[in-house]
Amino acid sequence: MQQFITSSEAETEALGEKLAKKLKPGDVVALFGGMGMGKTALTRGIARGLGVTEGVSSPTFALVHEYEGRVPVYHFDMYRVENWDDLYSTGFFDYLASGGVLIVEWSENIENALPENAVCVRMSRRGGDNERSISVDGVTL
Amino acid sequence: MTILSVDSSAAAASAALTENGKILGEFYCNVGLTHSQTLMPMIHGLLTCTGVSLRSVDLFAVSAGPGSFTGIRIGIASVKGLAFPEDKPCVGVSTLEAIAQNLAHLSGTVCSVMDARCGQVYNAVFRAEGGALLRLTPDRAIPAENLAGECEKYQKPLFLVGDGAKLCYNMQSFQDAGAVLPPEPLIYQRASSVARAAAEAFASGKAVSPAALVPVYLRPAQAERALNKKRRSSLA
Repeated sequence: MQQFITSSEAETEALGEKLAKKLKPGDVVALFGGMGMGKTALTRGIARGLGVTEGVSSPTFALVHEYEGRVPVYHFDMYRVENWDDLYSTGFFDYLASGGVLIVEWSENIENALPENAVCVRMSRRGGDNERSISVDGVTL
Repeated sequence: MTILSVDSSAAAASAALTENGKILGEFYCNVGLTHSQTLMPMIHGLLTCTGVSLRSVDLFAVSAGPGSFTGIRIGIASVKGLAFPEDKPCVGVSTLEAIAQNLAHLSGTVCSVMDARCGQVYNAVFRAEGGALLRLTPDRAIPAENLAGECEKYQKPLFLVGDGAKLCYNMQSFQDAGAVLPPEPLIYQRASSVARAAAEAFASGKAVSPAALVPVYLRPAQAERALNKKRRSSLA
């Protein structure tokens, strides 16, 4: 496991971009951390690193956003997913088999459905308002 | 009777046109879940190549589940759309039963399995004899390990079919239960098998209007396992 400290949204995005270089089709990036921890900022960085040029926003209402990069990028928000039926009906298992990169916000809610080789990123506040502690597990940056 | 049948319940998709049991044409595509892009061109190509008009199709058939959430919806929605203008009869067949049709000519037990992920399989067990299938279990979602244990009691030979067949076959518990794997072309769901199952359903009066055609989702038996590791109360 690696630990990183970022002190701005821009730095969190830059870390995401760095992480993207290590991703390949079929990979799942599981994000953990509550509101305002920078999950969407990190996702923006990962998406940019994967060649996505359009804007990235949180899929809170749509549950999943699809982006075209060098590989397809599927951005999930599991905040409202409470049980296996909910998860099944997001198409999550179909996306898993589709050969894109999955980025999953609120992975806390679906922890038992994550593939064993998922890259786990845990984000928490540290010190000042903009400082974040980010741990990355499952890939070496 | 001319049947247009489709299957998009898992990774592969197919479309077939049959006339009184004879396959006039069949398209099969196994390039991942791109059914929203491949299914309609396949159906169009099928009608063009066979020279059969959509209007002369008597029955529309589709595997209605269990299977991939997205895939099932694409199949159902496509068939609804094609059958709706002339209100043609439709049959939604069990994906598991359609797969088992591949081995109906044999004598033995046919165990249909689809990968439901997280150690679970969608399954139904049939007895094949004299070209017909006798259903031994309902369609269900169960842990693969439980199914393996159950398989020991069924009459042999016991054939595994479906997109979960290889997954199960490679488990020691299914080897111990004496399961065998049929040749590759007989393992997976195909639209022509959907047509065979649909013809039987139609004969027994199970056809419905396009509006009444619905997908069948099976709830995986995950009750013993929470989705969220911390929130144990979300067991249901």
